Amino acid sequence: MNNTFNINRFGLLLRRQWLDFGKIYLLSLIVIFGVLIGFYAFNIPKAQDGLPPMDLNYVSLRFRYPIFGIVGFLFISIVASSYFSNLGQKSKAIIDLMTPSSTFEKFLAGVFYTAILSVASYLFIFYITDFAFCKYIDSSFSTFPYDASLTFMGKITHIHGIHAQLLNDEMDFEEYRGFSFLPFLVTSIFLLGSVYFNRFHYIKTAVSVVISVAIIMYIVYLSVSKIGENMVQITDSQNNEKIAFTIIFVSSVILCLFFWVITYVRLKEKEV
Amino acid sequence: MEFRDNKAIYLQIAEYVCEHILLGKWKADEKVPSVREMAVELEVNPNTVMRTYELLQNKNIINNKRGIGFFVAENAIDGVKSYRKVQFMDDELPVVFRNIYLLNIGFDELKTKYETFVKENFNA
Amino acid sequence: MIKIEHTLVYYLTNTVDMIKINNLNFGYSKHKPLFKNMSMQLSNGHIYGLLGKNGAGKSSLLKNIAGLVYAQSGALDVMGFNPAKRQPALLEQICFIPEEFYLPSVKIDAYVRANAPFYKKFDHQYFGNLLKEFDIPVGQKLINMSYGQKKKVIIAFGLATQANLIIMDEPTNGLDIPSKAQFRKIMASAMTEDRCIIISTHQVRDLDNLIDTVIMLDENDVALKASVQEITEKLTFKRVKEIDESIIYAEPSLSGYNAVMPNYHQEESKLDMELLFNAILAEKIKFKPLFN
Repeated sequence: MNNTFNINRFGLLLRRQWLDFGKIYLLSLIVIFGVLIGFYAFNIPKAQDGLPPMDLNYVSLRFRYPIFGIVGFLFISIVASSYFSNLGQKSKAIIDLMTPSSTFEKFLAGVFYTAILSVASYLFIFYITDFAFCKYIDSSFSTFPYDASLTFMGKITHIHGIHAQLLNDEMDFEEYRGFSFLPFLVTSIFLLGSVYFNRFHYIKTAVSVVISVAIIMYIVYLSVSKIGENMVQITDSQNNEKIAFTIIFVSSVILCLFFWVITYVRLKEKEV
Repeated sequence: MEFRDNKAIYLQIAEYVCEHILLGKWKADEKVPSVREMAVELEVNPNTVMRTYELLQNKNIINNKRGIGFFVAENAIDGVKSYRKVQFMDDELPVVFRNIYLLNIGFDELKTKYETFVKENFNA
Repeated sequence: MIKIEHTLVYYLTNTVDMIKINNLNFGYSKHKPLFKNMSMQLSNGHIYGLLGKNGAGKSSLLKNIAGLVYAQSGALDVMGFNPAKRQPALLEQICFIPEEFYLPSVKIDAYVRANAPFYKKFDHQYFGNLLKEFDIPVGQKLINMSYGQKKKVIIAFGLATQANLIIMDEPTNGLDIPSKAQFRKIMASAMTEDRCIIISTHQVRDLDNLIDTVIMLDENDVALKASVQEITEKLTFKRVKEIDESIIYAEPSLSGYNAVMPNYHQEESKLDMELLFNAILAEKIKFKPLFN
């Protein structure tokens, strides 16, 4: 018998975890869905209010960016911080730890539920909400009499009709590629928090993150100003940005893996 | 079955089995309950019942037929009687004697008492 | 007599040490050790009764054996595994019934469907029989059950896994009087030659006829580990009118005293576990030479 990983046993574990964790997860998903719908319903322009604010020839739906980020952050962090929270309670932890699967499988199941499933399901939920509301805007504005000429970069452009653009079409992913691993980093931090702390996992994790980020920023600031004392600044903004995004991407991958390793070790060491 | 406080459980179970044999509930060559059945019925450890059965086997009250189980021995009643007699002589009689001595009861008085008791209870 | 010894030997040949504890040191903090150099072997075919005062470490010993806590030093071998590694091959051989536990709010059959497949030997029919014995309706949701009912479900599930090592922490807590009798019957039938059953309890009277070997923890170590047979060979438990020199320990009762004394006359008395427990706590030194 393989005592580290067995795909069959891993499947059983995912199913077993669903029985308990699935409820919290589905409930959070429904709440998040409701929150998204609420925000959209409240913020989308309505035909009877006249011409909506525009970005070029599209209806401007700028509110979507912060909502996507904030709600997404809340969802994946809450899901991640509740995953191993059972282990903080003696009565639940014993039965979980005595389940005949390896610690590695238990850890991987955690990664699957918190990093993969929660991020994927959030993207899906957000996408269908966005899609439905854009369709709705399109239908309510399609009869709107709108025909304008405007000057754009020295040229006169004719615009006919108004359309809503889906968020994922509107966002230029090239620009944000550097941040694409951040959601996994967030889940890895909160997953670690859920196994590290015995109670109040979310608050404690959030506070620890804020404190450590503040300390790191301060140290970076101090050292940069020390090193940079006698240097001359040369700006090459485009290149700088590229390097910055690469650094963000690489460091988020490394940090995420690092937190996952610690989570695994903590899980191995967990006592009841 | 209620266990008394003053005697080892395995001996009390032996008495229970003997009682069943004397009363004719379990007849010669009949199977007695398995160790497990007996343990479950009496809510005791199977090892305790095993110890009882080993004792009864040594007293020729039951036989172990390997692979089948325990059976009441052919002369079980004789075995029970001699076993019980020893038990009575060793354990119960001293208590009676002590009281006879302490209360100054004469043997003649005892004899008449005994005869009426037998007449009333066993019609002998 | 020779014949008895012969059959006993026959039974003992199938016995192996399932649990080997060697110089175990354990404590929740460095300054307050709970076990100091504890050593002990437990074998199959027994129901061990683990006794001890509150805080003597009954639960902690059970958790050490199950790999739920880690010892500071010493060796622990459970069926050839180190429990601290929490390997599935060992975990599926252990049935651990904790004193406090939580079950998800699902129906019993959903719980079984999710958890039973981890145990290759899980016996669904036996599980059903146990539930019937315990008077638990199968379709019921676990959340709507009382603590006692949930406990019966988890005991039934644990036994149906066919695990060879059964560890129960205060199993009769929360069970009503008829359930306790059902529990004793079930445990009597669950005790097979290849199983090792360890039950911790402070309600000795619930289980005293089930236990065949007493393990008593006191002062960071095993104060006594002896079979009921061995104890009653060495000690007699009886009611006496007056206390004399030979008595090791006595407690006043309605008609005199309940006393423990050395078994000079090969009397076959019934082990009074509560009395023994109190006697050892009070007169530990007097018992040492008898059991070593």
